Amino acid sequence: MQKRILMAKTGLDGHWRGPTIVARALRDAGFEVIMIGMANTDDIVTSAVDEDVDLVGLNVGGHIDVAIRAIENVRNARPELPIFAGGTITPRAAKQLEGLGVEVYPPGSQLTDIVDAAERLTGTK
Amino acid sequence: MQKKSTDKAFFSRSGIELKSFYTGDDIPDGHRDRAAAAPGEAPYHRGFHTSGYRSKPWRIFQLSGFGKPEDENERIKFLLKNGETGFIMEHDRNTADHCYNVDHPEVVARREDVGLTGAVMQSVRDTAICMDGLPVDSSFGHAGGAVVQHAPFALAAYWTVAKQRGFDLAKLPGTGQSDFNLTYLGCVTKEQIPTLPGLQFNADIIEFCDRYLPYWVPVSIAGYNAADTGLSPDQELGVLFANAVEYLDEIKRRGSVDLIKAAKACGGVSFRASIEFIEEACKMRAARLMWADLLRERYGISDPKVANLRIHCVTAGSKMTYQQPLNNIVRGTLMALGAVFGGVQSLGVSGYDEALSIPSEHAHQMSVRIQQILQEETGIANVTDPLGGSYYVETITAQLAEKAWEFFEEIQNQGGYLATLDSGWLHARAAENQYKEFMDMENGDQQVIGVNCFQDDESPFEVDGFMGTDDAFDVATARLQDVLRTRHEKAATAALKQLEADCRSDTNIMPAMMEAMSAEVTLGEIGNVYREVFGNWNTPIQT
Amino acid sequence: MTEATTQPLLASALNGDRSSLARLLSHIERDPSAETEIRAVLASKETQSVVIGVTGPPGAGKSSLISALLPHTTDSFDRTAVLAVDPTSPFSGGALLGDRVRMQNHGLGDRVLIRSMASKGESGGLARAAATATQVLAACGWPLILLETLGIGQVELDVMDLATVVAVVLNPGWGDTFQANKAGLTEAGDVFVINKADKDGVQQTRADLQDSLSLLQSPVPIQIFETIAVNEDGVAALWQGIKTYLADAQATGLQEQKLRTRRRRLLMRILQSGCEARIEAYCCSDHGSAQVERALAGELSIEALQADLYANISQPE
Ligand code: B12
Ligand SMILES: Nc1nc2c(ncn2[C@@H]2O[C@H](COP(=O)(O)OP(=O)(O)OP(=O)(O)O)[C@@H](O)[C@H]2O)c(=O)[nH]1
Ligand SMILES: [Mg+2]
Repeated sequence: MQKRILMAKTGLDGHWRGPTIVARALRDAGFEVIMIGMANTDDIVTSAVDEDVDLVGLNVGGHIDVAIRAIENVRNARPELPIFAGGTITPRAAKQLEGLGVEVYPPGSQLTDIVDAAERLTGTK
Repeated sequence: MQKKSTDKAFFSRSGIELKSFYTGDDIPDGHRDRAAAAPGEAPYHRGFHTSGYRSKPWRIFQLSGFGKPEDENERIKFLLKNGETGFIMEHDRNTADHCYNVDHPEVVARREDVGLTGAVMQSVRDTAICMDGLPVDSSFGHAGGAVVQHAPFALAAYWTVAKQRGFDLAKLPGTGQSDFNLTYLGCVTKEQIPTLPGLQFNADIIEFCDRYLPYWVPVSIAGYNAADTGLSPDQELGVLFANAVEYLDEIKRRGSVDLIKAAKACGGVSFRASIEFIEEACKMRAARLMWADLLRERYGISDPKVANLRIHCVTAGSKMTYQQPLNNIVRGTLMALGAVFGGVQSLGVSGYDEALSIPSEHAHQMSVRIQQILQEETGIANVTDPLGGSYYVETITAQLAEKAWEFFEEIQNQGGYLATLDSGWLHARAAENQYKEFMDMENGDQQVIGVNCFQDDESPFEVDGFMGTDDAFDVATARLQDVLRTRHEKAATAALKQLEADCRSDTNIMPAMMEAMSAEVTLGEIGNVYREVFGNWNTPIQT
Repeated sequence: MTEATTQPLLASALNGDRSSLARLLSHIERDPSAETEIRAVLASKETQSVVIGVTGPPGAGKSSLISALLPHTTDSFDRTAVLAVDPTSPFSGGALLGDRVRMQNHGLGDRVLIRSMASKGESGGLARAAATATQVLAACGWPLILLETLGIGQVELDVMDLATVVAVVLNPGWGDTFQANKAGLTEAGDVFVINKADKDGVQQTRADLQDSLSLLQSPVPIQIFETIAVNEDGVAALWQGIKTYLADAQATGLQEQKLRTRRRRLLMRILQSGCEARIEAYCCSDHGSAQVERALAGELSIEALQADLYANISQPE
C-alpha cells in the first residue's frame, strides 16, 4: 500500500518549479502525493488529518515563521507525523526548522536524497 | 565526472547541435549578407546604436525592495549612491500581486510574510513614502506592477505622486512591467484576473501613455520570466514575440493608437542572461533581428527608431546556487558579460545570495560593482558588437532566430499566446525543460560547481541571506486604517464606482484609476472590484 | 492485526472522531479484509446517505464543479463529504492527487470533509474500497457524499454503482471523441452537465448528447445542464436539477429499481474480488505456484489445475 504525502506551499508564493519537480519525483518513487498548493495553516492541518497522510512536505517560499506556525499546528493535531521542507530557506532558518525536528532540503538538493528521506520518514525503507 | 569523448554530440541550451569549430561556410546564406550591416542599421542584430556604449553606457538597474515603503526607499537610495543609474520599486507580493489589503484573511494568515520581497503599498500615501526624494525626473524609474492586475494601480500611484510633486507627466521617464510571462506562467498567484481582461488592461496602459506619458515605457514583456521558468533561449525569443503580437494586434483592432507608436511602446523588453553566455549574447542579437523582421513583415513598419529593440537584461537567478554562494559573483560576472556582448541597454545582476533570500546590502552592492568593473575597467564598452563577424556567433544568431520563429509558429498553431497560457501548453513546455535540466544535474551530465561536485567549502565568510524587517505588517495595518479613516470618503466611493463602471464597459480604465488614486482608494478595494467584475483566472497548473 | 485496528477505529469514527475516520479510510484501502468486519458492524445500522457521482473525462471540470456545488448543498444537507479519485501512475504505483486544491475555498469549515484517493489501476480494488468508504462515511454521519471519478474505465463504472445519482460532466467539443467512450458515459449518467459553457460548441455538444441519449430509451427525460464551474454560472440550476432528479426518482420508484440493480452489481463485485483475492493467494502459495508452473510446462491440464484451485480455495478462512 502506497504511503501518502501532503505537499503544500506555506506562502502566497507562486514559484511552482520546486514543488512540482519534487512531487513528480515522489510519485515516480511510488508515493501518493496530495497537492494542496498555496495553503494556509488551517488548510494544511485539515488536509493532514482528513487525508491521513504519512508525511507532510512544506515548500517554504516565504517567511519562516509562517512555516513554523503551520508545523506547530500540524504537531498539535498529529504529534507523530513527520514533516520535511524545502524551498527558499536560509541556513539560519534551516537550523530553526531542524530544531523542531523538521528535515530541510534547500535549493540544490538532489531528488534522490529527497526520495530517500521520504522513504525513511514513512518507514518504507 | 562528465565523460569526454570525441564522438559525443554537443548541444546548445536551445538544442542546436554544435560543431567543434565554425567557418564562414556555416553562416546561413541569407544571414551572411545581412550580417555585414553596421550596428544601428537594419536588421539591427549588431546593436541598437552605431556608437554603442560609447555614447550611452547600459543602465545599471537592480530589483530592490522589502518591508515598509521607507525601508525600500532607503535601499533604493543606497543603490543610487553606489552608482545605480535607474531604480526599481518592488511591491509586496502578498498584497500587490493579489490586490489584497493587509487585512485580507489570506494575508493575515501569513502576516510575517508581508514585506518579505517588496514594500507594502496600499494607497498613494504609501507610494509617496517610497518615492520620497527619488530622482523621478532625471533617473529611469520602475514603478513596479510586474503582475498584470496590479500594474494599473502601481503606475497610477506613481504618476499621481509625481504629479503631486510638480513633475510634468509628459516628460516623465520610466516603466512598469505588467508582464504576462510572470503573471500567468512564472509565478501564478492565488487569485488573478483572467488573461483576456489582462490584455485589455495592458492595451489601456499603452493608450493612456500614448496620450499623456510619451516617455514612459507602458509595458515591458519579460522573456526573463519565461526563461527562468524553464523555456530555452529559442523558446524565450518565440514566446516574447508571440506576446508582442497579442498586444499589437489588440491595439490595431482598437485603432486608437498609431501602430508605429504602439510598436515603439512594446519595443522595450527584457531577457534573461544565463550562464551559457555566448549563446545568450547571440540571443540578444537574434532578438533585435527578429523584432525588425516582425514589424516589417506583419505590420509594415520599418522606421529605424521603432524597429530597433531596446533590451533590459537580468542574469539568471536560477543559476545562482545556495551552496558556496560566493561562486555566484563569478557567475554573475559571466552572465553580465554575455548580456553586454549582446549589446543590451540595461542590466541587473542577481545577488550572490540570490538562492538564500532577497539581496542583502552587500550583495546588492556587489551586483552594482560587477557592472561598474565591466564598464570602467575592461574596456568592453569601447567597441560595439565585439563578437560581430565571428563565424560561430553569426551562425548561432541566425539559427536561434530560425528556431525561435518555429516556436512562435507552434504557439500560433495552439491558438496564440494567450491560449497557450490558458491551456497550460506553455507550462508543459517549461516543465519538460525543467525536468530535463534537473535530471542532467542529478545524474552528473551537468556539473554545477559546489552543488553536485567540488562540494568542499573553505570560505571564511558566512553568507546567511538578508533578514529584512519585522514591522511591515503592523505598520501597513495602521496605515490602512489611517487612510480609510482620514480620506475624503465621498470622493473615494465615487471614484471606486466610476472605476467599476469602466471595468464593466469598453472604456479605458486608466483615467478612473488616476481619479481613484487621487481619492486615496486602496489596493484591496480595487481588487474587490476586479474580482467582482472579472472573476478569477483558471490556473492550468497545480503546485 | 485487522481485528485490533478496525474495531477501535470504527468505534471512535462512529463516535464522531474525525481523525479516526480518516485513518479508518486508509485502513480500508490498505486491507481488503477490514471490509467484512466493517460490514458486520454496520449491518445493524440502517444509514442511507445520498451519493452523487461526478464523472467525466480528465480535466472536464469535475473538481471545480464540486467546489462550486458545495455551498449549495447546505440547503438540504448538514455536512458533505467528498471522495475524489485521481489516477495511479501505471509505472510507479504512485499518484499525484490534485483534486483537493480546487475544492478548498468552500468556507464551510468542518462541515466539509475532502478525501483524495488514488485509482490503484484496473484491478487495484478502488471500487471495493470506495464502496466501503461510502458506507462508513454514511454511518459516521455524512448524509451527502460527492464522489469524483475519471469516467474512463470499468473501475469507474463500478464505482458509479454506489451512486444515488450520477452526473456526467462533459465539455463543448465532446462529440468529436470516441464512440466507445461516448456509450459508456451516456449509460452511466442520470444527469448531464456541459461544463465550460464559456467555450465554443455548446449547442453542437448538446445536440450530440441528445442523439446519444435518445438511444438509451430512458423512461424519464434526461436533463442536460450548462455550467461554467469557475464562475459558478448555472451551478445553482444544476443543484436544483439534481435535487429534482432525486425526488422524482424516489417518487416514481425508478430509484428503488435502479438501486436494486446497482446493489446486485455491487454484491457481484464484492464476491468477485473475494474470489480474486483467494486465487491470488493460491497462486502465491508454495503449492499453488508449483501447480501453476506445472500447468505452464504442460505437465498439468488446465482442467486439473482448476480442480486443484477450487479444492484449495473453497475452505472457509
Ligand atoms: C526561477 C525563479 C523565479 C521564476 C519562477 C519559476 C517558477 N515557476 O517556479 C520567476 C522568474 C517567474 C520568478 C519570479 C519571482 N521571484 Co523568483 N526565483 C526563482 C529562482 C531564481 C529559482 C527558483 C527555482 O525554481 N529553482 C529550481 C527549483 C527546482 O529549486 P527549489 O524551488 O529551490 O526546489 C528545490 C529545493 O528547495 C527542494 N524543495 C523545494 N520544495 C520542496 C518541498 C519539499 C517538501 C522538500 C522536501 C524539498 C523541496 O527541492 C528542490 C530540488 O532541489 C529563485 C532563486 C534561487 N536561485 O533559488 C528566485 C526566488 C525564489 N524568487 C524570489 C522572488 C522575490 C521573486 C519575485 C517576487 C520577483 C523578484 N522580486 O525577484 C517573483 C515572484 C512573484 C510572485 N507572485 O511570487 C525570491 C524569494 C525570496 C524569499 N522567499 O525570501 C528568490 C529567492 C530570489 C531572490 N533572492 O530574491 N522567480
Ligand atoms: N473555461 C473554463 N474552465 C474551466 C471550467 N471549469 C473548470 N475549468 C478549468 O478546467 C481545468 C480542469 O478543471 P478541474 O476542475 O481540475 O477538472 P477535473 O475534471 O476535476 O480534472 P481531473 O480531476 O484532472 O480529471 C482547470 O484549469 C479549471 O480551472 C469552466 O467552466 N470554464
Ligand atoms: Mg479533478
